[in-house]
Amino acid sequence: MTALSLSLVVPWAAGLVLALLDGRRRLVGWVAVCVLGANLGALVVLAAAVLPDDPVVVTTGNWPAGVGITLRADALGVLFALLSSLALLSATVFEVLEGVRERTFPGLVVLLAAGLTGVFVTGDLFNFYVFFELAMTAGYVLATYGGGRRELGAALVFTTVNLLGTFIFLLSVAGVYHVTGTLEMSGIAARMDEVDANAAVLLAAGFFVAFSVKLGLFPFHFWLPTVYTGARPAVAAILSGGLANIGAYGLLRFGGELLPGELDLAAGALIVIGSASILYGGVLAVSRRTASEMLAYSAIGQVGYVLVAIGVGGPVGFAAAILYTVVNALNKTLLFLTAQMRGALAGATFALGALSVAGVPPAAGFVGKLELFRATAGSPALVALFVLGSALSFVYAFQTYQYDFWRGERRGRRSSAPSRASSPRSRSSSSRWACGRSRCSR
Amino acid sequence: MSVILEVVCPRLLGPAAMVAAAIIVKGYSDVGDGFSAGVVVALAVALRYVTLGAERAERSLPVLRHAPVLAVAGLLLVLAIGFFPVAFGEPPLTHFPRAGEPVVEIGALELTTAVALDVGIFLLVAGALVETIHQIARLVEERRA
Amino acid sequence: MSLLFALAAAVLFGTGAYLLLDRDLVRVVFGVVLVSQAAVLTLVASGLTRGAAPIYPLSRGPVSDPLSQAMALTAIVIGLAVTALLLVLVLRVVQAYRSEELAEVAVREAEREARLERLHEREHAEEEAAAR
Repeated sequence: MTALSLSLVVPWAAGLVLALLDGRRRLVGWVAVCVLGANLGALVVLAAAVLPDDPVVVTTGNWPAGVGITLRADALGVLFALLSSLALLSATVFEVLEGVRERTFPGLVVLLAAGLTGVFVTGDLFNFYVFFELAMTAGYVLATYGGGRRELGAALVFTTVNLLGTFIFLLSVAGVYHVTGTLEMSGIAARMDEVDANAAVLLAAGFFVAFSVKLGLFPFHFWLPTVYTGARPAVAAILSGGLANIGAYGLLRFGGELLPGELDLAAGALIVIGSASILYGGVLAVSRRTASEMLAYSAIGQVGYVLVAIGVGGPVGFAAAILYTVVNALNKTLLFLTAQMRGALAGATFALGALSVAGVPPAAGFVGKLELFRATAGSPALVALFVLGSALSFVYAFQTYQYDFWRGERRGRRSSAPSRASSPRSRSSSSRWACGRSRCSR
Repeated sequence: MSVILEVVCPRLLGPAAMVAAAIIVKGYSDVGDGFSAGVVVALAVALRYVTLGAERAERSLPVLRHAPVLAVAGLLLVLAIGFFPVAFGEPPLTHFPRAGEPVVEIGALELTTAVALDVGIFLLVAGALVETIHQIARLVEERRA
Repeated sequence: MSLLFALAAAVLFGTGAYLLLDRDLVRVVFGVVLVSQAAVLTLVASGLTRGAAPIYPLSRGPVSDPLSQAMALTAIVIGLAVTALLLVLVLRVVQAYRSEELAEVAVREAEREARLERLHEREHAEEEAAAR
């Protein structure tokens, strides 16, 4: 219970104080890094308690169960909290080393960490919404980071679309309360069987749309390329490695636990949407030349795998979905952070991430892909789809690697706005990061 | 019309603060809480901004410039009250003294940790709303300039 | 009563969705606000019971469901914060572009891209000339 409370209250309180201080000062940045580290530490302690035993359940205010709001940390939630915390920590370390540009950045990242931890450890549907909105609001403001036209435009699109998704989620929450009379997740799961099937399908569709918008799945992806290419690398890493986890977690938690019947019903549709996502993301990523655009479309493709795995379902499918989400979040964080850097070390790191996206043996992505193949072993069509998707990701990842890291100079469209806007900074910092600058041939 | 506005609106802050205090206090036996109290005060402040303009409003009441500090202090108070029971091995948001235990009373007001929580919420809401008003006023004036 | 709430929420959501499609950014914000109000109405309607206010010395007879009211209140507060954020964001975008029309934003963006492209091509040509 102490670790659970600490993992919530430490980033929350520290984020508030940091929000008042000037984040451009190096010390403030490092304090934020320490707080995120402490949050990660508390989550590790919590994970050590949760993984071997049962979930930690706390009913706030000493109220009897069913009256008070419950906090519930189980293996799935703690895993996602750890993952997001790690992504935020690495992005913040990166940005502090680069030099923070706006005073609010460290405070916002720490508040985002508090919101994300809350989302993953709550056992109450409405509380989920509240923490979700806390994290998203920090994300909306973070998307403006940099303050240029491009960032502001991207932030506006991001905010509007995601708010719409959030309100659709809220409509479904109201519906769930109406038909089950409870907001506690375990209670909902127990009572969902007796609910009228039509109502349940409608609610499930609402949740699916809401989380798909967060994830950027194929028909709901339209905001994603603008935002991921418009935002600065650290923010793109935070949004894709941290905030997008809410979508995958929501699909697993709501689909797998609260509405399993509706998930079975929709399995076919989920597989079709997931496959469309894989192909769409893969093909468009191949046709892109800038690393950030490639990564944005790659993100659309990669979450398709998660959705297909959820659609396949069963313990193997869910395990594959979880594993793939973990690997994907780590890949995206690594790639967004290293894509703007130059030099041998950054190049090697990017190559490692690219191998992982493609699912080639020495990298972590291989394990994720292997698990996917195990989950779908019964269906030749899906196996073929995965092979095709992997081939596409191999092509686009190495195409970008080749353009950006092998050839010293960059040609054509690739030096358009995003890399150009950030290049003075990243060039100056790359000398700190790497042994040699590949652009010095100029 | 405008003279009445200019004379009356700035003087509404006192009565608004009074009403806010009443709303917090009566929240324990009737309808009322820190949130609505904060909104009442913020509305009075908003009237000042509208009638006096941002510059004059903040010069006549310098505390308005420190609204973010008030909001953060309020939320920190809320978090402290919410999470301090964890130190005693109780779940978060447990309130003291517990039901049935003796309470410190001032007149008709019973002092429990819930009152402090509401004061924190009042500070948070009032501070956050005033800061929002301040930011919008600043952006509008920048645009006009 | 539920039907009335459902109709009101549907009208709000529809109007909001229509405004969201507008090119005027302020109307987009109003659209988001209306959609959020549709969600709040649905929350109120989700626990619609007739009864006295649920405050401790309970009166006799039925008591109304406080939970949906609490949820609606929380949603209103969050909606307020988010609306303020959106308005400030729109104001900053407008300041950055000095225009409220999304189409113009797109046109300017395209112009900027084209300018960068030309610039880069010139640089590239110069480089090649220098190399020769």
